[in-house]
Amino acid sequence: MEIKIMKNILDRNQNKANEVKNLLTLKKVLMVNIISSPGAGKTTLLERTCEAIGGKFRIGVIEGDITTDRDAQRLKKYNIPIVVINTEGGCHLDSHSISKVIDSFDLDNLDVLFVENIGNLICPSQFDLGENFKLAVVSTTEGDDKPGKYPMLFREAEAVLLNKTDLIPYTNFSFESFNSDLKKINSKVPLFEISCTSGDGLEGWYNWISDKILLSNG
Amino acid sequence: MHELRIAEDLSAIVFEAAHNENLSRVTKVNIIFGQLIQIVPDIFESAFTEIVRNSIAEGSELDIEILPVKMKCMNCGNEFLVRDNTFACNICSNTDLGIIQGKELFIKSIEGE
Repeated sequence: MEIKIMKNILDRNQNKANEVKNLLTLKKVLMVNIISSPGAGKTTLLERTCEAIGGKFRIGVIEGDITTDRDAQRLKKYNIPIVVINTEGGCHLDSHSISKVIDSFDLDNLDVLFVENIGNLICPSQFDLGENFKLAVVSTTEGDDKPGKYPMLFREAEAVLLNKTDLIPYTNFSFESFNSDLKKINSKVPLFEISCTSGDGLEGWYNWISDKILLSNG
Repeated sequence: MHELRIAEDLSAIVFEAAHNENLSRVTKVNIIFGQLIQIVPDIFESAFTEIVRNSIAEGSELDIEILPVKMKCMNCGNEFLVRDNTFACNICSNTDLGIIQGKELFIKSIEGE
């Protein structure tokens, strides 16, 4: 006999994500899910962002790490609330892991919660954490073919940050090819060409994220 | 790797449905994936096979239907399949689109006795 079910397999994750989102909306906290490959510069981006807008906004960070708390250690100097989630081999965060740690934050005294997901371009984009939006970070040293290879992330991202632009002369990265693939997938997505090392292009990102935080705190 | 986690959630739904329907054996599980989800069917099947070992779903057949990405143009109403990762209307070139199909991660039904 056949039993009809017709149900989303990730229902459990989605329901928990909705709970997280409702709580953060109530507390007027913006949650940003940062997704990239390992080594694209997520933590360095967070360091620069804390330095630039940390005086203006109350920032919290959830650090997703397979093991170790090295990324969190790098952010300690900014005196912001940080919670580490070690997935012990898991390739992505899910809404249950976020839900378990969300109470560690004083949400009444927070404007924005950045979630640094596990370095991976496929798996994290499948799991809603309850975020307001996903941010795709990609670096020039990974090659210019990432949007075409991982369309779901680039289709869903609210903004794309292309990091390590200062290294373009040392790679075969073609900005034209990258941009053309990205625009085919998501023609309206804002693209910030940045270098977290030299600081180039970061001003546009700071302004954009500040506007998003203000809008959500409204 | 997300195949493993999704296969775990799938098996939980299968066990619950089998329990509710008093099945003693699950012989087939029918699922639908959208192309955007980027599931590798072989890896998913291996993960599911391992998870349901020594359960009432051991040896069950997994039928995976993959759906292509389909969008609707918000300008002219045209519905079209996305080819070559090009998210633009193939009639009016508008890029303001709504997704109709392609992100599914559904369990359709189970079969058993």
